[in-house]
Amino acid sequence: MVGKEESESAKDGEEVRIGVYVCHCGLNIAGSVDCEEVARFAETLPQVALAKDNQYMCSDQGQELIKNDIREHKLNRVVVASCSPRLHEPTFRKACEEAGLNKYLFEMANIREQCSWVHLHDRKAATEKAKDLVKMAVAKAALLRPAEEIEVPVIRKALVIGGGVAGIQAALDLADTGYKVYLIEKEPSIGGRMAQIDKTFPTMDCSICILAPKMSDLGHHPNIELFTNSEVVDVKGHIGNFHVKVLKKPRYVADDCTACGECAKVCPVTAPNEFDVGLATRHAIYTPFAQAVPSAYMIDMDLCLNKENIIVCDKCLEACERQAINFEMKPENVELEVGTITVATGADVFDPSSLPNYGYGKYPNVITSLEFERLINAGGPSGGRLIRPSDMQTPKRVAFIQCVGSRSDKSGRLYCSNVCCMNTIKDSLLIREHWPETEIYVFYVDIRAYGKGFEDLYKRARKEGVIFIRGLPAQIIEDRKTHDLWLIGENTLQKDLYKANADMVILSIGLEPRRDSETVQRLLTLSRTQDGFFMEAHPKLRPVDAATGGIFFAGCAEGPKDIKDSVTQASAAAARAGILMAKGKVTVEAITPLFDPEKCTACGLCTKVCPYNAITLDKKSKRVEIVEAACGGCGTCAAECPFGALTQKHFTDEQILAEIDAVTEEDAEEKIVAFCCNWCAYAGADFAGVSRMQYPPNVRIIRTMCSGRVAPKFVERAFARGAATVLVAGCYPGDCHYIDANHHTQKRVEKLWKKMERHGLNKERLQLLWASAAEGERFASKIREMQTLVEKVKPEEILAAKKVFEKALGEV
Amino acid sequence: MPVRMWRQPLDIEKVKRPKAEIHIIKNQCKGCGFCIQFCPQNVLEESEEINERGFHPPRVIDENRCVLCSFCTSVCPDFAIYTVEKACKDGC
Repeated sequence: MVGKEESESAKDGEEVRIGVYVCHCGLNIAGSVDCEEVARFAETLPQVALAKDNQYMCSDQGQELIKNDIREHKLNRVVVASCSPRLHEPTFRKACEEAGLNKYLFEMANIREQCSWVHLHDRKAATEKAKDLVKMAVAKAALLRPAEEIEVPVIRKALVIGGGVAGIQAALDLADTGYKVYLIEKEPSIGGRMAQIDKTFPTMDCSICILAPKMSDLGHHPNIELFTNSEVVDVKGHIGNFHVKVLKKPRYVADDCTACGECAKVCPVTAPNEFDVGLATRHAIYTPFAQAVPSAYMIDMDLCLNKENIIVCDKCLEACERQAINFEMKPENVELEVGTITVATGADVFDPSSLPNYGYGKYPNVITSLEFERLINAGGPSGGRLIRPSDMQTPKRVAFIQCVGSRSDKSGRLYCSNVCCMNTIKDSLLIREHWPETEIYVFYVDIRAYGKGFEDLYKRARKEGVIFIRGLPAQIIEDRKTHDLWLIGENTLQKDLYKANADMVILSIGLEPRRDSETVQRLLTLSRTQDGFFMEAHPKLRPVDAATGGIFFAGCAEGPKDIKDSVTQASAAAARAGILMAKGKVTVEAITPLFDPEKCTACGLCTKVCPYNAITLDKKSKRVEIVEAACGGCGTCAAECPFGALTQKHFTDEQILAEIDAVTEEDAEEKIVAFCCNWCAYAGADFAGVSRMQYPPNVRIIRTMCSGRVAPKFVERAFARGAATVLVAGCYPGDCHYIDANHHTQKRVEKLWKKMERHGLNKERLQLLWASAAEGERFASKIREMQTLVEKVKPEEILAAKKVFEKALGEV
Repeated sequence: MPVRMWRQPLDIEKVKRPKAEIHIIKNQCKGCGFCIQFCPQNVLEESEEINERGFHPPRVIDENRCVLCSFCTSVCPDFAIYTVEKACKDGC
């Protein structure tokens, strides 16, 4: 290995001088790792010119230290052992660049998320592991090559998906900054959930009164092109250059429509109106609500009597003076080129009919909070009169039940939906305001009034006589004659049982991820948390960025929020997207393939596995062409090439093999060599660290961008060097950040399993794991499980594997 | 908005829907079945009855379903069916 390094450096004609910095991160690392000892150890490693430990490497002072040393000690490689590269790699790369060192000559050892935090109580083992991790990083660093990034222009146009208040705000901000914006909304009108709500908390503003002007601004904005009744069906490309296909479904009413409403008057068919949650009717030709934007009617073809090519009923056609109705309209495919995408797809509401004890869907007077909003709204089905559905009378006793579909094992939704407590308090005050005689009960678990002005509102509600009872009803029973309701449960503060009577019960339903989230996730290669909402790139420091470049989140798509938070996040997302577009160009990471034409036999295997079709083969000239701008950087081509003609920059075969060799240099027979993809498995391992999940310390993680980069020879090398077990971990099939590159991971692992079986090896020693970025526990338990496996592997099995894979030792 | 809608809309009584009277001239019918097949509201079905010409004329399943589009009148080759709007009594 050393000989190899010498030849590498000989090429450049310069000696490799590595600087190693071990960060204490306060006590985050130093609490369970002896950082000074790690630094002393690093100094003994080959080609290390100096090694230091420091309180906070990411601080200005820490960065200055690196910069000075690069200049003073002529360092030409830098290794920082600290947190995850997913967090601070950009910080240190920048510091290196500022000192004149190419940023690709920097390497990181993750001794916090993947060491100190997961081995809190075993200082000795954690220190040993940290040393190993530094050794791996140094081995890789010695082989790092400087690289130049290519620049790609960013299209100065933005796409916003979803026209709720978050989407509207993001689109307006972007358009006001001066960018062209396309807004795609699935429903016939923009407005989203906020348009359905009567009043907003804590100020009691009329919801539609403050939203409608924004909707109208958006409709008239010269920089915004609005597509309603439309869906995104395909997204290709990458940061700065997305190619988006939109399916624009026909409205069957042309833009000439003046929304006079004559057509709806004569339309003979009716159905429940979705906007009023089915409490009011609409016709087949309709506009969802009075303030809809675009202010135009449309025809629901599922309801209309006319079917394709058969005009059965032409009443609306005859009623329309402007002759705007056209049954011949066809769906249109629109193709857009945009630089950034803001995902503001919103949330769905929980359907309480899955909880039989509350009788929703069976008892007419049990309603949801969303139905209540429509009932109490002046533009709603009852004209703003509080009535109960069974007899249209104003109820005298009303009960609210909180946390329906939130914070509950039963419904499977463990999270707090954020808005329901305040929404109920607001609703109770609205009832109090208009019908002061009504008795109001709120059954709750905890009241969460955490925001600005929230506590005041809560106090006001209590002062005005709203009765709060802690303990949710176990069951609701209906009096069949009167349709009155009885709520039975336990008051957990007084530890006694209650049986309360109410004329109407309002279920405060939670928010849940949209049912079509999976489609959006696939289209844009996003991640979702365990709750099902979209996952941000970093929970604290990059809360509106998606892990995929050029994509941002606004509103409830990322997690339940109220209107204020949605608007705030939307403005933030617009600013983040604006930064990209203002620059007008973005650099593509230099992790594209390196091609050696001499070794290439023009077999074409690489062209078949490339998810981006970035590699083409000219059969005549036997030449392989690589389009760098189209390359996503997964490295699966390099793993596929049987002749070593392709490798991936910054993740070269030599570098990864050097890491494997470093891991297996000592005590290989006790170790787990883990290959983790950057986006899911490595991030999941980081998440296990952030959550302080403890697992055995003998795992060593080697990061690749995609699990598709893991060539069979890497696994073979690990076994040939005596590793006890090997783990290959990546994103779930279908969640791959490189479209489908991890399909090849599976194929390669299966092939290796067969080979192991053929040679009488225990194939369990090679494990394949799919784990998402949110599944820290899944990763941790896999390591625990593999630890028991490591203990069972006998020395003769290690020897046998060494022999079977002997050939892998000759690689590179 | 995929909220399950299970209630009868509160304003269902107020919605004006034309009430129809369907007239079938049974003996003029030759049982082609066009009116049955093309009715968008599926108001008609074939009856077992046999008319003077030896055919099965249609029969009304539920008059309330008819929305008076009068497509049956348009497609009937034998002028054997027509609809009339019922005069509105007691404030319908």
